[in-house]
Amino acid sequence: MRNLIAFFRRFRVFLVFVVLQIFALSAYFSFLQFPRSQYLTSASYVSGNIMEVRNDITKHFNLSLNNDKLQKENSWLRQHQPANFQRLESKKVRIDDTLYEQQYLFIPATVINSTVTRRNNYFTLNVGRAQGVVRGMGVFSDKGVVGIIHNSSDHFSVVKSVLTENINIDVLIEPIGLFGLLKWDGRDSRRGTITGISNDLKIKKWSRVVTRGGSGIFPRGLKVGKIEELKPIEGKPLWDVVVRYSEDYRTLQRVYVIKNLMQKEQRDLESNIPPDKEE
Amino acid sequence: MNDLIKHSVRFFALFIIQAYILNQLEIGFGIQLMVYPLFIMLLPFDLGLIYLMLLAFGMGLLIDAVSNTYGLHTSSLVLFAYLRPFIMKLFSPREGYEKVREGNIFEMGSRWFIYVFGGLLAIHHLWFFLLEIFRLDEVFFILRKTVLSVPLSYLLCYLLQALFISKPKER
Repeated sequence: MRNLIAFFRRFRVFLVFVVLQIFALSAYFSFLQFPRSQYLTSASYVSGNIMEVRNDITKHFNLSLNNDKLQKENSWLRQHQPANFQRLESKKVRIDDTLYEQQYLFIPATVINSTVTRRNNYFTLNVGRAQGVVRGMGVFSDKGVVGIIHNSSDHFSVVKSVLTENINIDVLIEPIGLFGLLKWDGRDSRRGTITGISNDLKIKKWSRVVTRGGSGIFPRGLKVGKIEELKPIEGKPLWDVVVRYSEDYRTLQRVYVIKNLMQKEQRDLESNIPPDKEE
Repeated sequence: MNDLIKHSVRFFALFIIQAYILNQLEIGFGIQLMVYPLFIMLLPFDLGLIYLMLLAFGMGLLIDAVSNTYGLHTSSLVLFAYLRPFIMKLFSPREGYEKVREGNIFEMGSRWFIYVFGGLLAIHHLWFFLLEIFRLDEVFFILRKTVLSVPLSYLLCYLLQALFISKPKER
């Protein structure tokens, strides 16, 4: 026993060092996988509020650019309003429309903190559980997909952005309908890669990449980017597809959070698939 | 008492500079500026290593909390604090550290400072980028980031000291 105490006294400093390191590193590596608490993230009350004050000052720097963007989107949406279409068919009368049921709701939000140079980049939004934002919802902007909600507090939330290593959004290469998983290599905030595209298929350069909407997080057809480069991977029958994102994440401010009203239905249905038997 | 106020002011000033200015900057080439190790560097020589590491831990947690890095800065800064006495012993001047009050560039001379602080800063940055990227096949990218970032961080720390620390009077 005395030896043990002597040992602790002797290596006291090193033990404190090891304990602190274990705490920091376990926090780092477990947060990358799953957020257990929100006290140490920018979704917490104090740092969220500081970020909001900072954003209040800096948001005006590119105000006119953002206004232009919003105006463009507004005009596009206005063009697609039914009131702006001339009626060609006058006989059909539409009473209560049951052909369409609302599936997606969009919650507007502002990015109040973001990085693009790290290996894993997280954005902080000024909406939280009070606005109905919970973990697992998709986030997009008018120009492209942004990420998935990683963690939310009462009034703030943290987005795991497209610029993280294991984002794995399922995407579709548009005219031919091929799909793969979107990844990021951590270097360039304007480019990502798609994995799982087999190289017996011809893909045109600059064909559009959109979301596939398979997991119910994103609706089908949200813009992601365009294919910039196709490289063969050595030793595998796959293409290394480089995507140029349509959104410039460095200037991102206004985003929308997607709430899928039929998510539970889809999950319940898909959970009924019997698991593969091991042979 | 006077020292306590001085170090707390440095703590908050460096925290604000790091979290709200430098972590928001995008310089390109993978450069990331980090000046907060300067706080640990300028703490008194006779402060116990455990207190040093606890202070480093607290500062790292604060910076991590506002920049969504979840413990990266904490781990690197604790390593910085842990290694400080060893590196200082390695480069100790002939008469020891008894007469000097703190290890800033004017008290100790630029030669000592570049060895001790530059070395510690390089270890800190290397550890930070190693953990952040965490892949062996990108060793050159990690080294490139470290080699580009350390001189700039060092330069910034030098400027901060030149601006805010008064030179000692001639003895």
